Amino acid sequence: MNTLASFYREREQAILGGGFILLLILIWQIVPALISLPRGIALFFTTPVEVIKSFYQLVVRNEIQSHVYTSAVEFVVGLGLAIVVGLPLGLVMGRSKILDAMLDPFVTAFNATPRLVFLPLLILWLGIGIWSKIMIVFVGALFPLLINTYEGVKNVDRVLVNVVRSFGASEWQTMKVVVLPNSVPYIVAGLRLAIGRALLGVVVGEFFGASRGLGFMIAGAATNYKVDVVFVGVTIFMGLSLALTHLVKRLEARLSRWRPDEVKTF
Amino acid sequence: MAFKRFYAEYQRLILGMVSVVGMMLLWELAFTYVIPLNPFFFTKPSLIAEAFKQQIVSGSLWHDVAISSKAFLLGFGLAVVVGIPIGVFMGWRRRAEYTLDPFLTALYASPLVALAPLLIIIFGVGLTGKVALIFLLSVFPFIFNVFAGVKCTDRLLVNVVRSFGGREKDIYFKVILPSIMPYIVAGARIAIGRGIVGILVTEFYAASEGIGFAISRFGDTYRLPDMFAAIMVLMIVAVGLTEGLRKLETLLAPWKVGQEAR
Amino acid sequence: MVPCIEARSLTLTFTPKNRDPVTALQGFDLQVSKGEFLSLVGPSGCGKSTFLNVLLGLLKPDSGELSLNGKQIDGPGQERAMVFQEFGLLPWRTVLANVQLGLELKGVAPSIRHERALDLIKLVGLERFQNHYPHELSGGMKQRVGLARALATEPEVLLMDEPFAALDAQTRDLMQTELLQIWERTKKTVLFVTHSIEEAAYLSDRVVIMTARPGRMKNVFKIDLPRPRDYEMRLTPEFNDIKAKIWNTLKDELSGKAAGNGI
Repeated sequence: MNTLASFYREREQAILGGGFILLLILIWQIVPALISLPRGIALFFTTPVEVIKSFYQLVVRNEIQSHVYTSAVEFVVGLGLAIVVGLPLGLVMGRSKILDAMLDPFVTAFNATPRLVFLPLLILWLGIGIWSKIMIVFVGALFPLLINTYEGVKNVDRVLVNVVRSFGASEWQTMKVVVLPNSVPYIVAGLRLAIGRALLGVVVGEFFGASRGLGFMIAGAATNYKVDVVFVGVTIFMGLSLALTHLVKRLEARLSRWRPDEVKTF
Repeated sequence: MAFKRFYAEYQRLILGMVSVVGMMLLWELAFTYVIPLNPFFFTKPSLIAEAFKQQIVSGSLWHDVAISSKAFLLGFGLAVVVGIPIGVFMGWRRRAEYTLDPFLTALYASPLVALAPLLIIIFGVGLTGKVALIFLLSVFPFIFNVFAGVKCTDRLLVNVVRSFGGREKDIYFKVILPSIMPYIVAGARIAIGRGIVGILVTEFYAASEGIGFAISRFGDTYRLPDMFAAIMVLMIVAVGLTEGLRKLETLLAPWKVGQEAR
Repeated sequence: MVPCIEARSLTLTFTPKNRDPVTALQGFDLQVSKGEFLSLVGPSGCGKSTFLNVLLGLLKPDSGELSLNGKQIDGPGQERAMVFQEFGLLPWRTVLANVQLGLELKGVAPSIRHERALDLIKLVGLERFQNHYPHELSGGMKQRVGLARALATEPEVLLMDEPFAALDAQTRDLMQTELLQIWERTKKTVLFVTHSIEEAAYLSDRVVIMTARPGRMKNVFKIDLPRPRDYEMRLTPEFNDIKAKIWNTLKDELSGKAAGNGI
């Protein structure tokens, strides 16, 4: 009996957390068996088992693959563009006070505004093809990357820069040896935020002007009351988000080992 | 000589303003004298200003903003009232943290907007659906920021209050609550952006009123100056609220040396 | 003389998660007389801060007795107040509001506690800073606020847990002299925990040396120096003799010669 108690004590965190989630899923599953739902609600109700069955069907009938592919392309290309533009710009803004001062109002304004507000404009310009979605992903993911890179560069220890300069390093060498390594944890944190925004961009972009993609699938299924398909889409997004975020967090932890503990807000 | 000193002090502000004004001027001049302006594709500041004036005069702007604000305030208010107690509960009781954290973290990390079509189908196109989505999106920053704030509470201060005979309620009101004020404001700042996303999603998708709907409708009817004007209104509101809260944060916590990613 | 504080056979063991249990106090005995200034000195981890916390009422001993004026100690009480090493000031309150904290928790009327707090702020010489916030004050000033706060509830016993350890050497010397002056005026019983032999010898009537963990009383030294004491006394040969004697007793505990379970 004692071993059970010590087993629990050691893994209490996982047991309580995981158990709670399992409990919720279980309750969700058996609710229709316990109480008879009024007709209105029954129309919107589905169960975990139904969702799994639906997923299987979609895969088997090859209906979901093209959606996943489209969404993936939008995500990867948009995020890639954001990295390619955001990182260098963040580096330069961090090092040049003048450029920083001039771009700051724009960055602040665009960062505070949900990039979603530009979606109708992007659709007007680029149509409902893949490019409007890529651009919304790009604009969404750009700012966390830009701002975090910028913060990382700005926060480099003056003393270290002076040390390297005293050995005669050029600006480029200073960047390479001090500024970049110092900024890496910030950049990776920015990447973590950017992934979330990018996924958001894919989802919402595909709700409104699309002909393919997981978001399109969700929207279509909702209109046809196929709630199980909706949850298939939602779960896929959820799973992707969790997996990617987790991976980046591990990368972050690995790369931040030299930093003292700081309070991180969300 | 005096100008040099003035410039040095306010350099950042001056450069910023020069940049913005310069950009606007360049934009206006370019599309008036150099590049032909295709009205179905783009617009320029003078036209935007005109459209803006029209919208104010006709009252349509206020109307749209009012509709959207109502839903926003309801959803946001609900998020404050629900999110803060949950955050305190999780931060103060270790068991609560273990039980709720994985589930809530999973939800927070997921694009909950994906549920928007479902919520709209269930609740319809009116206020309830909007409020539900806004609530879902903006509650999590409050929960997690308050949670972090409570966990960061200086245990020494709790002991101090205990040593003078303070009870549980004294600890809550004299130590925990003041301690987490900056965290609450930080959470509000993050939640605002997410709440606005909620408004935009519901109004783009299925609404007949509100600023999001206005933007979408202007786009459909190729009224670009109106569209740009509405977008700018939203931007001004968003920036105003966010920067205002940022100021509030520093006001409330001059003793905190904070470092955060925006 | 009836002892003010009496500890008999106190034992306390900590059981932290996933680690071996730690016995902080083992059969600890101590008697403190009323109005006495007593220092506790000992190696790190010997349980002196733990004893102070038990006295304060924040920790409960596993066994043994602890009484104040004949009554068992059972939780915090108005007769005891602590000055903390890391100050423990509420950062969002002004100096004045911080000093009132204890009185506030006891439900004293605002006007009365306001006045009382002002008196004490004057006593510690911070009158000009009553509306400042802790982050605007130096370490020495913060600790004076801590002292004023502890005195505000008019306790019988003042517990001080290495109160000057976080201060620089010069401020520390200043604060020691000020503390003695305030003690002469208020006549409290003081229990003072420190690592510094010099500080203990300078301030106290008696110095108690504790053994290494688990802590017990190893030796007691009576400091016969005349009061009021001043800085020059620290430079006399008598003072150095006292310090040497205390050090001789203490160093065995520090080097671990006497360490180990039991002795």
